[in-house]
Amino acid sequence: MAGQLPYDNRPWPERRDAALQNQTMRHTIGFVTRRFTLIKGEIYRTSPDLEASRKTAVGQKRQAIRDLPQLLEQFRNQVERRGAHTYLAAQAQDAVDIALNIARSHQAELVIKSKSMVTEEIELNQAFEKAGIPVRETDLGEYIIQLAKERPSHILAPAAHRNRHQVEELFQADASREKISPPQSDEIEDLTRYARSRLRQEFLRADMGVTGGNFLVAETGTLVLITNEGNADMVTSLPPVLVSIVGVEKIVRDWASLTEIIQQPAMSGIGRHLSSYTTMIQGPKSPGSVEGPREWHVILVDNGRMALRDTEFEDVLSCIRCGACLNACPVFREVGGHAYGSVYPGPIGIVETPLLTDFQVLPELPSALCTLCHACQEACPMDIALPDHIISLRHTIVKRHLNSSTVNWTLRTWARFWSTPGGYRRSISLARVMQRLSGKKRNAQGLFPGIFAGWGQTREIPQVAPKTFHEWWQEWKERAEEK
Amino acid sequence: MRIQHAGETFRKEDEIPVKVQLFVSCLADMVRPEAAIAAVHVLEKRGVGVEFPEGQTCCGQFSYNAGYQHEAAVMARHFVRVFESGTQEDPTDILALSGSCAATVMHTYPGLLYEDALQQGEPETKAREWKKRAEAVAGRVHEWSMWLGEHADQPMAPNGSPLPVAYHLGCHMRRLLPESRKAQDLLRALGIDAREPENAEECCGFGGTYSFTEPVVSTALADDKLANVQNLVQDAGAVCLTGADLGCLLHLEGRLRRQESSLPVCHVAELVELADQNRLTPDQVRQLEQGGGK
Ligand code: SF4
Repeated sequence: MAGQLPYDNRPWPERRDAALQNQTMRHTIGFVTRRFTLIKGEIYRTSPDLEASRKTAVGQKRQAIRDLPQLLEQFRNQVERRGAHTYLAAQAQDAVDIALNIARSHQAELVIKSKSMVTEEIELNQAFEKAGIPVRETDLGEYIIQLAKERPSHILAPAAHRNRHQVEELFQADASREKISPPQSDEIEDLTRYARSRLRQEFLRADMGVTGGNFLVAETGTLVLITNEGNADMVTSLPPVLVSIVGVEKIVRDWASLTEIIQQPAMSGIGRHLSSYTTMIQGPKSPGSVEGPREWHVILVDNGRMALRDTEFEDVLSCIRCGACLNACPVFREVGGHAYGSVYPGPIGIVETPLLTDFQVLPELPSALCTLCHACQEACPMDIALPDHIISLRHTIVKRHLNSSTVNWTLRTWARFWSTPGGYRRSISLARVMQRLSGKKRNAQGLFPGIFAGWGQTREIPQVAPKTFHEWWQEWKERAEEK
Repeated sequence: MRIQHAGETFRKEDEIPVKVQLFVSCLADMVRPEAAIAAVHVLEKRGVGVEFPEGQTCCGQFSYNAGYQHEAAVMARHFVRVFESGTQEDPTDILALSGSCAATVMHTYPGLLYEDALQQGEPETKAREWKKRAEAVAGRVHEWSMWLGEHADQPMAPNGSPLPVAYHLGCHMRRLLPESRKAQDLLRALGIDAREPENAEECCGFGGTYSFTEPVVSTALADDKLANVQNLVQDAGAVCLTGADLGCLLHLEGRLRRQESSLPVCHVAELVELADQNRLTPDQVRQLEQGGGK
């Protein structure tokens, strides 16, 4: 079954232009992504021994996806054996309903959350707010964009598009609303201090915690969370009820495979060997222990994922959401995450968004936001064939007649002419005629057929040579034969 | 047909393949034949006979990358036929005047022709046969400057300081052809100080049909690339922008001209020819741009 994903309903040109006009965002995103890419390259270069571990992780993850139904079953059994509850949500809406039911049955009044992309995917916060249950994000980046009423612009660094000055402004406004003392400056330390003291109160008040999950270990029924701020430790230990919402593809077979893969997100995402905190949850609080939730619910989200198994796109389910492909992508560096219009931006986003929704959502992504430079392929620690998938999705778009008739006409006519030498020669004569008609005038692109006109909007159109190489060769050959 | 010029060579006859086939690419053929002509001269100067199969058109990458796989397959089959003909006994290397086209033939053709045959209702045996033919041709394809660096000795670099140029290594050549960064060594050996701009690994925004269908993003990327190229002009005195892929170069050149910049843009083959002729000066490079280099 196809999944459901939220999307920005502004058309692509509007999203694009808004992004390109936002110079602060472009500067910040460009800086952050290049920096991440640099340090990622650095850490793999200085730890060559970890390459073997990465390869093992890829192999094991691929196998886990092939065995997904059995491993999910095993995971659920292990978790339930310890008195927790598991659910399988076929679509986004199902996951939201299950989570809301749990919250309602406990009369939850405040929910605290650690960072999770799948809850963005199912729009959990929006549903909770609508039901009158406030949700507080506790990851610093998520907290920032929650204050700004925005969506994440990067899967790893949700507020990567904002600079610290803008963050300070948001905190100042928040402080005056709450009548508390504002951050002392826009230095990172002061901002963090403000967020920490602000969030601390909420941690203590909350009656339900929500997390995502980086890995699910089938063998032991363990949920693994990696964070850099330690906030997940608090979310999973303070509130009495804990709900973890995780994509089904997060499964790994056993502890041994976890140890191979666990370094990859931090290495590829932030260029560090490991994230600062690794939180593991194995069940609700057992009698006698002081910490941990009384109840633990695990909602496993399908939302279009299972349908990708046994297709050419199966490797997409190995994604560990490290963000390396976003950081490496030149188009992402240019337009940032919001221009994509999907919760999943960047190369993985332009592949997953149409795939998970069976092209119901943002089908323009594969064509509009990729130059096929292959930087993402090089960056991806899980060896996901992103460029091949993008080409394949473009092919599907052609087959399903989702392209404009101009694009269709151009590409088909082009191929018809150029698959024979005679047609090729005729097309050159034609180009010369058009060139004569347009003279040396600028912006003469009106004369150019189909999609070719786009070139002339911003660039001079190259002129067909007075003598093509074919023509030169003819003469050269004749001269040589005369000799 | 085959043309052999005796003349002066830079290398002992028996160490270098005596004959190659040239694939000039549609772009060089139509808008920058000077690059292909220079490529012929450079090879012949090194005692390599050049054959130009005249039926050639385009590798079909534009169509393939835009998702028009059948259209691409039609062109790919044409390419395979053209370069197969007359070479069964004596399979020569095929030198492509574009790293990106070379990568397409090498990496895309076999799978594409196999798939398309099946799509067209051909039996599996026929599809496999196409794949084999494509692989045979793909195995002969090399990017021109990389081949040259590997197979031919270069003349002694002239005395005096090398000529600084901004070198753009296109994404496909960089990432899909192994050891492609070595292509710059060829230039250095010839007294050309090839320098990559900052953030060199970042796409210039050409992307084949992407440059037509998404001109806005494509141009934003070009502007970033060109800002870094201009820094090389200012700081290192780069006299031109060069590279082995005309797609990228024409896109960047088109943008430079629209912005009234006269920075010369040329294919590496044109620079190598200048070096061969001992004419490697800023002035001569500027003349290339005006079509006066021949
Ligand atoms: S596709 Fe690869 S690089 Fe991109 S987020 Fe997923 S694992 Fe990381």
